[in-house]
Amino acid sequence: MNESEQSRAPGHHAARLRRVLAEDSRTAELGVQITVEGAAVHLAGPVASGRHKDELDRVLREAAPEMRVYNDVWVVEADEPGSGEELR
Amino acid sequence: MRIAAVGDVHLDENARGRLRPALERVGRHADVLLLSGDLTRHGTVGEMRVVAEEFSGLPVPVVAVLGNHDHHSDAVPEVTDVLHDHDIEVLEGDSVVLPIGPHRLGIAGVKGFGGGFAGKCASAFGEPEIKAFVRHTVDVADRLRKALDALDADARVALMHYAPIPETLQGEPPEIYPFLGSYLLSEAIDATDVDLAVHGHAHYGAEQGMTPAGVPVRNVAQPVIRTAFAVYSIEP
Repeated sequence: MNESEQSRAPGHHAARLRRVLAEDSRTAELGVQITVEGAAVHLAGPVASGRHKDELDRVLREAAPEMRVYNDVWVVEADEPGSGEELR
Repeated sequence: MRIAAVGDVHLDENARGRLRPALERVGRHADVLLLSGDLTRHGTVGEMRVVAEEFSGLPVPVVAVLGNHDHHSDAVPEVTDVLHDHDIEVLEGDSVVLPIGPHRLGIAGVKGFGGGFAGKCASAFGEPEIKAFVRHTVDVADRLRKALDALDADARVALMHYAPIPETLQGEPPEIYPFLGSYLLSEAIDATDVDLAVHGHAHYGAEQGMTPAGVPVRNVAQPVIRTAFAVYSIEP
């Protein structure tokens, strides 16, 4: 971790990475959860495809090459529903 | 009347075809399919073509509102035209009435906007940017109210991207609730006789809630419902 990253609070570091994922045109991602713990960044939450999960990984590693990335993002289910809800 | 609904599908070329197998069977479950916005990732014409092809040619009518992602490339007229070219209705302060058997289902839709909820919302005071923000959310809610009011139908549905109540946001950090919806949308819903309100936008929210007047509200963001679409039955 370089000196400026070391001096940045984990919350601020996570906020910077969140903005990177939102503003990079390859990801445009506002919905994943990002947590920074020491030299590791954890990603969690739902995405629309496996390739998008891979893009998140790629963009994050470019933005924070010194960090370990744990990508726990999951691809949203796309099955038919089992039943509906009756509203009264 | 059986209403299928989903939002926040965020389709791009990478996700083409994922929903199609389930969508082709939507006629077994529902009479109409509502899309509550954030259909694309960046709001480009190319991505909206993927959306249009995914949701066209289905056995039921498809009615949509756009979401904030669909506005990201400043190409709203162009992406709207793509959906229209594929017979997908797009609502923004207007409505459509669909015949379902002997009955008429009215759907009024807006994207909506933020602003926050009762007691914790923005006011039209201070800098021009804040006043513009609040003025926009007031105007949007007013357009929804007028569109609902004008509906001549046996049952009415309000379709939005942003949330009208905080209950369907539970799971999201409370600090961002003002960016996720506005209580003015629930005021618009409660000012008319609405049977169901549907929205998206909050991927970590809860599916079920209710307006102060008792109108069922459902968050149909795909990460919330975890299926290709949810189905709700209402009595006309």
